[in-house]
Amino acid sequence: MEFKLEAHRIVSISLGKIYNSRVQRGGIKLHKNLLVSLVLRSARQVYLSDPCPGLYLAGPAGSPAVPPPQPGEPAAGPPAGWGEPPPPAAGAAWPEIEPQPERPADPAAPRAGDAEPGAPMTGAGETVRGGEVEAAEAAWRRVEGPCEAAEGGAGGPAGGSDGFPEGLREARRHCGCPPGAADRPGPLGACPRVDCCCAPRPAEDEPPAPPAVGPRKRGAAGVGGGPAPGSSPLKKPRRNSEEQSGGAAEEEEEEMETGNVANLISIFGSSFSGLLRKSPGGGREEGEGEESGPEAAEPGQICCDKPVLRDINPWSTAIVAF
Amino acid sequence: MELEKTRADIISTVEFNHTGELLATGDKGGRVVIFQREQESKNQVHRRGEYNVYSTFQSHEPEFDYLKSLEIEEKINKIRWLPQQNAAYFLLSTNDKTVKLWKVSERDKRPEGYNLKDEEGRLRDPATITTLRVPVLRPMDLMVEATPRRVFANAHTYHINSISVNSDYETYMSADDLRINLWNFEITNQSFNIVDIKPANMEELTEVITAAEFHPHHCNSFVYSSSKGTIRLCDMRASALCDRHSKFFEEPEDPSNRSFFSEIISSISDVKFSHSGRYIMTRDYLTVKVWDLNMENRPIETYQVHDYLRSKLCSLYENDCIFDKFECVWNGSDSVIMTGSYNNFFRMFDRNTKRDVTLEASRENSKPRAILKPRKVCVGGKRRKDEISVDSLDFSKKILHTAWHPSENIIAVAATNNLYIFQDKVN
Repeated sequence: MEFKLEAHRIVSISLGKIYNSRVQRGGIKLHKNLLVSLVLRSARQVYLSDPCPGLYLAGPAGSPAVPPPQPGEPAAGPPAGWGEPPPPAAGAAWPEIEPQPERPADPAAPRAGDAEPGAPMTGAGETVRGGEVEAAEAAWRRVEGPCEAAEGGAGGPAGGSDGFPEGLREARRHCGCPPGAADRPGPLGACPRVDCCCAPRPAEDEPPAPPAVGPRKRGAAGVGGGPAPGSSPLKKPRRNSEEQSGGAAEEEEEEMETGNVANLISIFGSSFSGLLRKSPGGGREEGEGEESGPEAAEPGQICCDKPVLRDINPWSTAIVAF
Repeated sequence: MELEKTRADIISTVEFNHTGELLATGDKGGRVVIFQREQESKNQVHRRGEYNVYSTFQSHEPEFDYLKSLEIEEKINKIRWLPQQNAAYFLLSTNDKTVKLWKVSERDKRPEGYNLKDEEGRLRDPATITTLRVPVLRPMDLMVEATPRRVFANAHTYHINSISVNSDYETYMSADDLRINLWNFEITNQSFNIVDIKPANMEELTEVITAAEFHPHHCNSFVYSSSKGTIRLCDMRASALCDRHSKFFEEPEDPSNRSFFSEIISSISDVKFSHSGRYIMTRDYLTVKVWDLNMENRPIETYQVHDYLRSKLCSLYENDCIFDKFECVWNGSDSVIMTGSYNNFFRMFDRNTKRDVTLEASRENSKPRAILKPRKVCVGGKRRKDEISVDSLDFSKKILHTAWHPSENIIAVAATNNLYIFQDKVN
């Protein structure tokens, strides 16, 4: 649970940094933005791949259990608690808190909530996904494992977008190395620094997250489907985010952050709706076309040069776009 | 904010010249200030030469790229000296986009007795001139003037992070996030691109170049470091475009240390050849590593600069400190390495004795001529009297730039907008 909160917090912070870098003097700094996007990706991985807060990483035998950090604390949490099981109490508190953090995932993963359960993901999406997020995914694979069955219920997204189900799919290949590793043309062709151990996970509870997730996501995001419906999916989140941020004041802290994140998304989205319309398969060309434009204009458009996956849902695509 | 007022004063680079006689600093406002060591006088044998301001000039101005709607900061990213070949001094200074070659020279004579101009420089009416004379040079007060001799512009799309003078003294390289260009000092309108790691599709970008340096003796070799914690040694004789490295230095990641921020803290912020040319030193967020050029799979030495920050990475990410780029330096004999930290602390590691020391650069704690007292950061448990706890560290006081005299134990430490020069105590 705390991991999820922490990841969510890191995601909002990262988005904030990317946004601020646009207005910084001296132009967008490629290096810093690259690093921020790597953190964003890792955090997003954790966030999306753990809808079952009760199921934490199974640490190596003998690793000391660490009590989860208080939400306000600077995160000794995820790094220190990496791979360590949560105290049992967290599970009890989870059902109340869980609904909210799911919401931020909505603009992030509208497709996931809307997909029909059990819809298979396209190989393309998977492949693309696998290579690039290997390093980030590696440590997270163990989280994804226990949620497999649960997430299987939620299903993969239609249209083969990414999102956590994809990560889960990867996890199911228990060899540890993501299937897309060899296919990926990028620099992460091989498995770099992969903590590929598929350590046996203790049988853990699977709280009813997925069914709850679905409708909640649908409701909050209001996005009628994933990237497949081409017409400016970002416009919908924008409307919703306005409603949401309006309502955020009354709701919990996580809601406020969600509104924040969604606002950022809408800000990004307003600039590059073309890029956002694309679906992973067909959109890639469009994305590349978009890229070549900025390419020619180069550093003014450094903001496009993010190492974020092409197959990422509109939320993350917005990050690329900006 | 107090800091905002002095923002232009923040020192962004420090560099001794090859003899150690001159020390140059560059700041965020685009200014270069050069200090010169005063000659040791016979009268005051105990007083080692002190550094006084020698020359100050505005190297770079803020620019605006209208085509791309980008403001180009005037901040001086790096200064590198050329070896002295005549009476004048030459240095390279660079901001994000443009490298300039400056000539710093002394003038202590001036011509007097022009025929066509009077003493104030006003033109004289030729009709009033009845005799001709030869102008003569007369002594004047010493004036140090800096003139830009070359401007190397428009060769970098991304932000320049390094410049390095080649040992042939005819060429130098400039590196930005994705490319490295080779220049000849005499030619400003073209440069050779020798490294290009820009992917065809920018979405596939996974690493950038963070620093680059020429080998001190072999004019064909250079290294560049990456944001992924790797170093590549390239040989320009192998091909025109050195996209393929001769050597690749990378240490396998320790999986137990994995976190959200693993990638950030493994990004190398500085790479420096030893004076001998046999080793390279790299600085990442938490450590300094020494590599033997003959061994690529791991460093031969690793020094923890401030490992107590490992558990605070998230806060450091929030306040942007995790992106701070610390530099590292060798002493003249390559036996000691030095790098900065927070709270105006800087650290020295003796490679032979394996001893290390933490010192502080601050006015409050050191009077002139006082000996610096070693500092200690308390990481938990009982704090001793002189120790400072991790939570009390001031993260706004960071020492990113330091320099070591090429042959003596004199160091220059830049603490925000103050420059500290420390010398070894002479007995």
